[in-house]
Amino acid sequence: MYNINKIFALAIIILLTGCSIGGEKKIKIFSVEEPRQKLDYPMPTALQLEELKWIIITSENAQEVFAKLEEAGIDPVLFGLTDKDYQVLARNFAQIRQKLQETNNLLEEYKKYYEPKEKE
Amino acid sequence: MIVVLLMAGIGGAGIYVMKLRSDNAILKANQHKLETAITEQNKVLEQQKEDFTAILESNKKLNVLINTFKKDLQDLDKRFTKKNRDIGKLAIDRTDAIERIINKGGVNAARCIELASGAEHTPEELKATLKSEINPECPALANPNYVQYQ
Repeated sequence: MYNINKIFALAIIILLTGCSIGGEKKIKIFSVEEPRQKLDYPMPTALQLEELKWIIITSENAQEVFAKLEEAGIDPVLFGLTDKDYQVLARNFAQIRQKLQETNNLLEEYKKYYEPKEKE
Repeated sequence: MIVVLLMAGIGGAGIYVMKLRSDNAILKANQHKLETAITEQNKVLEQQKEDFTAILESNKKLNVLINTFKKDLQDLDKRFTKKNRDIGKLAIDRTDAIERIINKGGVNAARCIELASGAEHTPEELKATLKSEINPECPALANPNYVQYQ
Protein backbone atom coordinates (compact mmCIF):
# COMPACT_ATOMS: atom_id res chain seq x y z
CA MET A 1 0.00 0.00 0.00
CA TYR A 2 2.87 2.33 0.92
CA ASN A 3 4.53 1.62 -2.43
CA ILE A 4 1.32 2.28 -4.31
CA ASN A 5 1.02 5.66 -2.63
CA LYS A 6 4.58 6.52 -3.54
CA ILE A 7 4.06 5.55 -7.18
CA PHE A 8 0.77 7.45 -7.23
CA ALA A 9 2.45 10.55 -5.79
CA LEU A 10 5.26 10.27 -8.35
CA ALA A 11 2.74 9.93 -11.17
CA ILE A 12 0.90 13.00 -9.99
CA ILE A 13 4.18 14.96 -9.81
CA ILE A 14 5.08 13.88 -13.37
CA LEU A 15 1.61 14.83 -14.57
CA LEU A 16 1.72 18.21 -12.95
CA THR A 17 5.22 19.11 -14.07
CA GLY A 18 4.40 17.78 -17.54
CA CYS A 19 1.86 20.57 -17.97
CA SER A 20 4.52 23.14 -17.41
CA ILE A 21 6.79 21.86 -20.22
CA GLY A 22 6.62 24.28 -23.15
CA GLY A 23 4.37 26.55 -21.19
CA GLU A 24 6.97 29.28 -20.70
CA LYS A 25 6.38 32.37 -22.73
CA LYS A 26 9.25 33.24 -25.01
CA ILE A 27 10.45 36.82 -25.06
CA LYS A 28 10.42 38.21 -28.57
CA ILE A 29 12.78 41.02 -29.40
CA PHE A 30 11.93 43.15 -32.39
CA SER A 31 14.54 45.31 -34.01
CA VAL A 32 12.96 48.09 -36.01
CA GLU A 33 15.34 50.11 -38.14
CA GLU A 34 14.78 53.78 -37.58
CA PRO A 35 16.04 55.71 -40.61
CA ARG A 36 18.30 58.69 -40.04
CA GLN A 37 16.61 62.04 -40.15
CA LYS A 38 16.98 63.80 -43.46
CA LEU A 39 19.30 66.77 -43.47
CA ASP A 40 17.04 68.41 -46.02
CA TYR A 41 19.01 71.59 -46.55
CA PRO A 42 17.58 73.85 -49.24
CA MET A 43 19.79 74.25 -52.28
CA PRO A 44 22.07 77.29 -52.08
CA THR A 45 20.53 80.55 -53.21
CA ALA A 46 21.43 81.45 -56.77
CA LEU A 47 23.86 84.30 -57.30
CA GLN A 48 22.73 87.63 -58.66
CA LEU A 49 25.73 89.36 -60.10
CA GLU A 50 26.08 93.06 -60.67
CA GLU A 51 26.85 94.33 -64.12
CA LEU A 52 30.21 95.86 -64.81
CA LYS A 53 31.49 97.79 -67.78
CA TRP A 54 34.66 97.11 -69.67
CA ILE A 55 36.47 100.05 -71.23
CA ILE A 56 39.02 99.45 -73.93
CA ILE A 57 41.80 101.94 -73.83
CA THR A 58 44.41 102.27 -76.53
CA SER A 59 47.24 104.80 -77.00
CA GLU A 60 44.93 106.60 -79.42
CA ASN A 61 41.76 106.91 -77.38
CA ALA A 62 43.33 107.29 -73.92
CA GLN A 63 42.86 111.07 -73.68
CA GLU A 64 39.28 110.80 -74.86
CA VAL A 65 38.46 108.00 -72.39
CA PHE A 66 39.89 109.88 -69.41
CA ALA A 67 38.11 113.05 -70.44
CA LYS A 68 34.82 111.15 -70.62
CA LEU A 69 35.41 109.68 -67.17
CA GLU A 70 36.06 113.13 -65.72
CA GLU A 71 32.95 114.49 -67.45
CA ALA A 72 30.89 111.74 -65.86
CA GLY A 73 32.35 112.53 -62.44
CA ILE A 74 34.29 109.29 -62.28
CA ASP A 75 37.87 109.24 -61.03
CA PRO A 76 40.10 109.24 -64.10
CA VAL A 77 41.79 106.00 -63.25
CA LEU A 78 41.48 102.57 -64.86
CA PHE A 79 42.64 99.15 -63.70
CA GLY A 80 44.12 97.58 -66.78
CA LEU A 81 44.69 94.21 -68.34
CA THR A 82 46.58 93.35 -71.50
CA ASP A 83 44.72 91.47 -74.21
CA LYS A 84 46.46 88.24 -73.16
CA ASP A 85 45.54 88.74 -69.52
CA TYR A 86 41.97 89.47 -70.52
CA GLN A 87 41.88 86.05 -72.19
CA VAL A 88 43.32 84.48 -69.04
CA LEU A 89 40.68 86.21 -66.93
CA ALA A 90 37.92 84.98 -69.24
CA ARG A 91 39.29 81.47 -69.02
CA ASN A 92 39.62 81.63 -65.23
CA PHE A 93 36.04 82.80 -64.89
CA ALA A 94 34.86 79.99 -67.15
CA GLN A 95 36.69 77.52 -64.92
CA ILE A 96 35.20 79.00 -61.74
CA ARG A 97 31.75 78.80 -63.31
CA GLN A 98 32.33 75.18 -64.31
CA LYS A 99 33.52 74.26 -60.82
CA LEU A 100 30.43 75.93 -59.37
CA GLN A 101 28.21 74.01 -61.75
CA GLU A 102 30.00 70.74 -61.02
CA THR A 103 29.73 71.22 -57.24
CA ASN A 104 26.05 72.13 -57.49
CA ASN A 105 25.44 69.15 -59.70
CA LEU A 106 27.21 66.83 -57.27
CA LEU A 107 25.16 68.23 -54.41
CA GLU A 108 21.95 67.60 -56.35
CA GLU A 109 23.03 64.05 -57.19
CA TYR A 110 23.92 63.30 -53.56
CA LYS A 111 20.60 64.71 -52.43
CA LYS A 112 18.74 62.68 -55.01
CA TYR A 113 20.59 59.50 -54.03
CA TYR A 114 20.55 59.79 -50.25
CA GLU A 115 17.39 61.80 -49.75
CA PRO A 116 15.03 60.66 -52.46
CA LYS A 117 11.58 62.18 -52.52
CA GLU A 118 8.97 59.83 -51.12
CA LYS A 119 7.16 57.87 -53.82
CA GLU A 120 3.60 59.05 -54.06
CA MET B 1 -0.76 -0.70 -9.72
CA ILE B 2 -2.01 -1.12 -13.28
CA VAL B 3 -4.11 2.03 -12.94
CA VAL B 4 -1.10 3.97 -11.78
CA LEU B 5 0.97 2.66 -14.66
CA LEU B 6 -1.82 3.50 -17.09
CA MET B 7 -2.08 7.00 -15.70
CA ALA B 8 1.67 7.45 -15.90
CA GLY B 9 1.56 6.16 -19.50
CA ILE B 10 -1.22 8.56 -20.42
CA GLY B 11 0.66 11.37 -18.67
CA GLY B 12 3.83 10.52 -20.59
CA ALA B 13 1.92 10.39 -23.85
CA GLY B 14 0.41 13.76 -23.03
CA ILE B 15 3.82 15.24 -22.37
CA TYR B 16 5.11 13.77 -25.62
CA VAL B 17 2.21 15.23 -27.59
CA MET B 18 2.77 18.59 -25.98
CA LYS B 19 6.44 18.44 -26.87
CA LEU B 20 5.51 17.57 -30.44
CA ARG B 21 3.13 20.51 -30.57
CA SER B 22 5.79 22.78 -29.15
CA ASP B 23 8.34 21.53 -31.71
CA ASN B 24 5.79 22.03 -34.44
CA ALA B 25 5.18 25.59 -33.33
CA ILE B 26 8.93 26.28 -33.27
CA LEU B 27 9.35 24.78 -36.73
CA LYS B 28 6.45 26.83 -38.03
CA ALA B 29 7.99 29.96 -36.52
CA ASN B 30 11.35 29.07 -38.06
CA GLN B 31 9.72 28.51 -41.44
CA HIS B 32 8.03 31.88 -41.18
CA LYS B 33 11.32 33.53 -40.23
CA LEU B 34 13.09 31.93 -43.17
CA GLU B 35 10.39 33.05 -45.57
CA THR B 36 10.55 36.58 -44.16
CA ALA B 37 14.34 36.52 -44.45
CA ILE B 38 14.10 35.46 -48.11
CA THR B 39 11.62 38.25 -48.85
CA GLU B 40 13.86 40.75 -47.09
CA GLN B 41 16.91 39.51 -48.97
CA ASN B 42 15.02 39.86 -52.23
CA LYS B 43 14.10 43.40 -51.28
CA VAL B 44 17.74 44.17 -50.46
CA LEU B 45 18.86 42.72 -53.80
CA GLU B 46 16.25 44.76 -55.63
CA GLN B 47 17.32 47.91 -53.80
CA GLN B 48 20.97 47.19 -54.62
CA LYS B 49 20.05 46.80 -58.25
CA GLU B 50 18.18 50.13 -58.20
CA ASP B 51 21.11 51.82 -56.43
CA PHE B 52 23.55 50.45 -58.96
CA THR B 53 21.45 51.78 -61.85
CA ALA B 54 21.18 55.18 -60.12
CA ILE B 55 24.95 55.33 -59.61
CA LEU B 56 25.62 54.44 -63.24
CA GLU B 57 23.17 57.05 -64.44
CA SER B 58 24.66 59.68 -62.15
CA ASN B 59 28.19 58.88 -63.34
CA LYS B 60 27.06 59.10 -66.94
CA LYS B 61 25.48 62.50 -66.27
CA LEU B 62 28.66 63.80 -64.63
CA ASN B 63 30.80 62.54 -67.50
CA VAL B 64 28.57 64.34 -69.99
CA LEU B 65 28.86 67.49 -67.89
CA ILE B 66 32.66 67.30 -67.73
CA ASN B 67 32.84 66.79 -71.51
CA THR B 68 30.62 69.84 -71.95
CA PHE B 69 33.02 71.82 -69.77
CA LYS B 70 35.96 70.84 -71.95
CA LYS B 71 34.05 71.83 -75.06
CA ASP B 72 33.01 75.18 -73.57
CA LEU B 73 36.65 76.00 -72.75
CA GLN B 74 37.76 74.99 -76.24
CA ASP B 75 35.02 77.19 -77.73
CA LEU B 76 36.17 80.09 -75.57
CA ASP B 77 39.76 79.67 -76.78
CA LYS B 78 38.52 79.43 -80.34
CA ARG B 79 36.67 82.72 -80.03
CA PHE B 80 39.91 84.44 -79.10
CA THR B 81 42.18 82.72 -81.60
CA LYS B 82 39.96 81.67 -84.54
CA LYS B 83 41.67 82.27 -87.91
CA ASN B 84 44.78 83.68 -86.18
CA ARG B 85 42.59 86.32 -84.60
CA ASP B 86 44.47 88.73 -82.34
CA ILE B 87 42.03 90.35 -79.95
CA GLY B 88 44.56 93.05 -79.05
CA LYS B 89 45.02 94.20 -82.63
CA LEU B 90 41.30 94.02 -83.27
CA ALA B 91 40.70 96.20 -80.20
CA ILE B 92 43.10 98.82 -81.57
CA ASP B 93 41.50 98.80 -85.04
CA ARG B 94 37.86 98.57 -83.97
CA THR B 95 37.85 99.80 -80.39
CA ASP B 96 34.13 100.55 -80.04
CA ALA B 97 32.97 97.33 -81.66
CA ILE B 98 35.26 95.15 -79.54
CA GLU B 99 34.24 97.07 -76.41
CA ARG B 100 30.60 96.29 -77.20
CA ILE B 101 31.42 92.62 -77.83
CA ILE B 102 33.44 92.33 -74.64
CA ASN B 103 30.73 93.95 -72.55
CA LYS B 104 28.11 91.66 -74.04
CA GLY B 105 30.40 88.70 -73.39
CA GLY B 106 30.81 89.86 -69.78
CA VAL B 107 27.04 90.02 -69.29
CA ASN B 108 26.66 86.55 -70.81
CA ALA B 109 29.47 85.12 -68.66
CA ALA B 110 27.90 86.61 -65.53
CA ARG B 111 24.58 85.04 -66.47
CA CYS B 112 26.36 81.70 -66.87
CA ILE B 113 27.70 82.01 -63.32
CA GLU B 114 24.20 82.79 -62.03
CA LEU B 115 22.80 79.73 -63.81
CA ALA B 116 25.65 77.56 -62.55
CA SER B 117 24.83 78.65 -59.01
CA GLY B 118 21.26 77.41 -59.47
CA ALA B 119 19.35 80.35 -60.95
CA GLU B 120 16.16 79.54 -62.85
CA HIS B 121 16.21 79.79 -66.64
CA THR B 122 14.22 82.57 -68.23
CA PRO B 123 11.56 81.55 -70.80
CA GLU B 124 13.76 83.13 -73.52
CA GLU B 125 16.71 80.97 -72.53
CA LEU B 126 14.58 77.86 -72.59
CA LYS B 127 13.02 78.75 -75.94
CA ALA B 128 16.32 79.56 -77.66
CA THR B 129 17.03 77.15 -80.50
CA LEU B 130 18.87 79.42 -82.93
CA LYS B 131 22.52 80.41 -82.70
CA SER B 132 21.52 84.07 -82.62
CA GLU B 133 19.34 83.48 -79.55
CA ILE B 134 21.74 81.54 -77.36
CA ASN B 135 24.24 82.51 -74.71
CA PRO B 136 27.48 81.57 -76.50
CA GLU B 137 29.47 81.53 -73.26
CA CYS B 138 27.70 78.40 -71.99
CA PRO B 139 25.05 77.18 -74.44
CA ALA B 140 24.66 73.76 -72.85
CA LEU B 141 23.92 75.33 -69.49
CA ALA B 142 21.93 78.37 -70.58
CA ASN B 143 19.99 76.96 -73.50
CA PRO B 144 19.09 73.31 -72.91
CA ASN B 145 16.95 73.17 -76.04
CA TYR B 146 19.66 74.40 -78.39
CA VAL B 147 21.19 71.69 -80.54
CA GLN B 148 24.47 72.67 -82.09
CA TYR B 149 25.06 71.65 -85.69
CA GLN B 150 28.34 69.84 -86.18
